[in-house]
Amino acid sequence: MMDFEKLVAELADNAAPVKAAPHPYLLSLKWMGAAAVYLVVSLAVSGLRPDLAHALAQPLFIAEIVGLLLIFAATSLSAALLAFPDLHQKHRLAFAPAWMFALFVLVMLFAWRADSPPAPLPVHSFECTLSIILFSLLPAAWTFYTMRRYASTNYYWAGSIALLSAFSIGALWIRLHEVNDSILHVVEWHYLPMIAAGALGVWLGKVLLKW
Amino acid sequence: MEEITGMEELMRRSLGGDKRAYAELLRETARFLRPFLSKRLSFDSEVEDLLQEILISIHKARHTYDGKRPYKPWVYAIAKFRLQDYLRMHYADHLRHAEELSGLEENLQDDVTESGISYESISAEVEKLPEKQATILQLMHQEGYTAKEVAAKMGMNESAVKVAAHRAYKVLRQKLER
Repeated sequence: MMDFEKLVAELADNAAPVKAAPHPYLLSLKWMGAAAVYLVVSLAVSGLRPDLAHALAQPLFIAEIVGLLLIFAATSLSAALLAFPDLHQKHRLAFAPAWMFALFVLVMLFAWRADSPPAPLPVHSFECTLSIILFSLLPAAWTFYTMRRYASTNYYWAGSIALLSAFSIGALWIRLHEVNDSILHVVEWHYLPMIAAGALGVWLGKVLLKW
Repeated sequence: MEEITGMEELMRRSLGGDKRAYAELLRETARFLRPFLSKRLSFDSEVEDLLQEILISIHKARHTYDGKRPYKPWVYAIAKFRLQDYLRMHYADHLRHAEELSGLEENLQDDVTESGISYESISAEVEKLPEKQATILQLMHQEGYTAKEVAAKMGMNESAVKVAAHRAYKVLRQKLER
């Protein structure tokens, strides 16, 4: 290592004016706006589920969609905060996804109980998980690309939350696209893989967000 | 001359390209980080090395600070992050050395009883090694320095120290197994 004063002089010499990073609220709004456009365009291309009007008449379906929207909003905000070394000094907000996930689990428990007699299982299974993953690739890539410009000191969490955010928008898309009332299928192939996505995000965070 | 007060103000000026304010800010930052690091690290050389790494990290991440929130929590977040990284690497390094040493001891154990290898004979063999290798082994295994500290002491690269130590183990093993 070099002499302390020499290092200070060198760093000061390189101190060109710097444009401050956008506020994390603005950053997360950007992500949410882009994801909303992506979702609308994708649904316009792939088509809405034909029974959407009927599905929207069911309170638990609405609760599930709202739950997914809240998870997406909370994870976007949390990922934006986690991209900053000090979480922009809003530590409590960074934990908001935990509450949203808890709320969502509760909604799914109610939906599970209400699914009696159980709706018939669709003929497909893992195809849903695969579709969600493919749909999530673009938002995930963009989120990680943006986060790399900042300086996360919690890169494991940041990676996990970023991937959960992308996965939640994928899960939202498939619920609005696919005709399916089986809670068992939805839990097994739409939402449980989210746990794996979160774990994969931990690894991706370490690889992509370390600085 | 206008007096600059407050670290937030210094940082705001630094972000605007004020080099004098930036140099002052880095010095002030070092002033409050030194005691923080000293409490957590054993050697002054470690504190200075890590402090410099933290200052470089602050420089890299300065765009993530907007001057509108307290400066110290932002700096401490970076300092803790780098300290954790350093400690993780430091302990991994210690573990590797312990494994290397126990590997050498295991290999030598049987021979010691059979061929009468003593501490003196090992020391004698160490002395016959090239000067640099002998010094490295002496510092690491008799005086308890880490590879990083030995590197700093001898003006070498850390990995060069490890390579030299590894070569020395190999030579010693061959000689003592004969």
